[in-house]
Amino acid sequence: MSSSKSNKIVKLESSDNKTFEVEEAVAVQSETLKNMVDDGCANDTIPLPNVNGKILEMVLGWCKKHVDETVTGDELNKYEADFLDLDQADLYGLLMAANFLNVKGLLDRVLQRVADMIKGKKPEEIRRIFNIKNDFTPEEEEEIRLENAWAFD
Amino acid sequence: MQKMAGSSFPEEVLEHVFSFIQDGKDRNVISLVCKSWYEIERWSRRRVFVGNCYAISPRMVIRRFPEVRSVELKGKPHFADFSLVPDGWGGYVGPWIAAMAAAYPWLEEIRLKRMVVTDEGLELISKSFKNFKVLVLSSCEGFSTVGLAAIAANCRNLRELDLRESEVEDLSGHWLSHFPDNYTSLVSLNISCLTSEVSFSALERLVGRCPNLRTLRLNRAVPLDRLANLLRRAPQLVEFGTGVYASELRPDVFSNLSGAFSGCKELKGLSGFWDAVPVYVPAVYPICSRLTSLNLSYATIQSPDLIKLVSQCQNLQRLWVLDYIEDTGLDALAASCKDLRELRVFPSDPYEAEPNVSLSEQGLVSVSAGCPKLQSVLYFCRQMSNAALRTIARNRPNMTRFRLCIIEPRTPDYVTLQPLDAGFGAIVEHCKDLQRLSLSGLLTDRVFEYIGTFAKKLEMLSVAFAGESDLGLHHVLSGCENLRKLEIRDCPFGDKALLANAAKLETMRSLWMSSCCVSFGACKLLGQKMPRLNVEVIDERGPPDSRPESCHVEKLYIYRTVAGPRFDMPPFVWTMDEDSELRLS
Repeated sequence: MSSSKSNKIVKLESSDNKTFEVEEAVAVQSETLKNMVDDGCANDTIPLPNVNGKILEMVLGWCKKHVDETVTGDELNKYEADFLDLDQADLYGLLMAANFLNVKGLLDRVLQRVADMIKGKKPEEIRRIFNIKNDFTPEEEEEIRLENAWAFD
Repeated sequence: MQKMAGSSFPEEVLEHVFSFIQDGKDRNVISLVCKSWYEIERWSRRRVFVGNCYAISPRMVIRRFPEVRSVELKGKPHFADFSLVPDGWGGYVGPWIAAMAAAYPWLEEIRLKRMVVTDEGLELISKSFKNFKVLVLSSCEGFSTVGLAAIAANCRNLRELDLRESEVEDLSGHWLSHFPDNYTSLVSLNISCLTSEVSFSALERLVGRCPNLRTLRLNRAVPLDRLANLLRRAPQLVEFGTGVYASELRPDVFSNLSGAFSGCKELKGLSGFWDAVPVYVPAVYPICSRLTSLNLSYATIQSPDLIKLVSQCQNLQRLWVLDYIEDTGLDALAASCKDLRELRVFPSDPYEAEPNVSLSEQGLVSVSAGCPKLQSVLYFCRQMSNAALRTIARNRPNMTRFRLCIIEPRTPDYVTLQPLDAGFGAIVEHCKDLQRLSLSGLLTDRVFEYIGTFAKKLEMLSVAFAGESDLGLHHVLSGCENLRKLEIRDCPFGDKALLANAAKLETMRSLWMSSCCVSFGACKLLGQKMPRLNVEVIDERGPPDSRPESCHVEKLYIYRTVAGPRFDMPPFVWTMDEDSELRLS
């Protein structure tokens, strides 16, 4: 990030047509946006059809915090910890956005958070949390359960 | 609040999430959520643990998990450690290596326990896996230093070579020189089980050029006066095992050694100490306060020297020691080592009828009182009382592993001459998280009633010379909900309990019974009734059908499997299955 570009503004539009303007230094925290900037595709407003306004605002907030030199190490730690205190719908949206925009530090944290929601649970609990239909037949499920328990435990 | 639509997670996102989940149990749960999760999980599983190599075939593992990097397999049953499993029984890793050589070119880690490994197998490993990093052979056999030479020569990325307690045909120490001069990635080397001398200059050069070496366990043949040079080349060591720890006292050797130990600022674990002599023990005093693990099970030093040593190890978490430590030494341990988690006391002279040391139940009581974090105990002794066991149980309800080995079978409470039922009953009643238990002493069916009633978290039980009738076995099989492994020798348990609890055997990994009262007829019946179990009769007297059906079998090993009967059995092992009636007649 050379200083000659530090005044450039990047314009983004969320799936629900909200526009956001951020400094390039903030935007390039996202690998996806960085690639667009480097390829010269960031001159017009960049549409982000798979990220809604609420989530995009959150992600940009994260990015801003991480280029702000006045923020101390402790403050950043607290910010990151509080950041993931979200309800499931937002967590899901954030996961999709962080994955698409490839904001490295954020993506790892959200992935870890989702992984923690899975660990130690039973299959039915996981299905309930993530609203997943059990598409195994009882025989298929039993066969896998058996192999898991008899061979891999 | 809108729920997360998990099944619309893109595959790559799920893969990312799963990469944060490595635990086998969690992975097994994930595979059961839905079909797409099963698929994504199986393609992304990198480590596989198979607790019984005969429970599944290599082909089935590879078919389900095509991209594995790390495999752990276990072969023979635990009682093989006491020579109860005849040679040639099985546990051959050859078929696994052959299958993995073809299917897993990126395999990095192989960990085996109680398996038969050959030199050809080791050579195949060394040539098939370009990124091979970790080889752990725990209590394995069947190979020689020729196989080790192949590993050393060909595994450019090797990090760990750990031969713990394996039986190696030690043709020469020359194999170590096969590590190329430009090989520098060694992190862990354990050759403590080898008998012949390795080339010291090769060893010194190897240690000197591997900056990431953390664990070095030498074999007995490395003399004491060579240790200082090795330690000075590896001051970053965390775990170190000496060779023979005996020599004539020479002040220069002593101070050199002591200085070398002091120079290892990260050293936390020590082992080796074969035939240790008291004069050299103080060489380790400067680092005692940092030690968390101390294995003195080959150290022939007596109680006063042991007391001086352990009293300085305030941060000790694990101690393995011979019964030379005696009750007084265990008192000192209890007073000094408040962080102790694991204690193992081995017998110095188990075949002698009379005690050669002053070690009794008191030592264990003392440690149970003084060490609040004590969770794991293996204790050989010659006398025990119900009162002592009750005290231990009350002191340490956090105990998770308790193995008591009273050397003489059927020894009663030495105070009351009663069976030790009540004492072990107290253990299982108070220690609610007990996972592993080994019984000894005089025991009736009563103790098994206590175990069945209270030991709800028990996973592994070892029984010898105990009980009076089938009721004992029945209590355990019907009561212990989490039982995975049961091993029994020389007990009057027979057909009734086994057949009445046949279904239970599908919920356990394995059952071993030797020198008990199980008839051949019952084995056949069990094999027919439970087709998903392998019911294996081991009998070196010849085919079981050459004797009456009511005749007791010598040994019986039963395990659940998704792979069907095995076909690599030696002549003295027979599988009882639906067809056994036909095949044997």
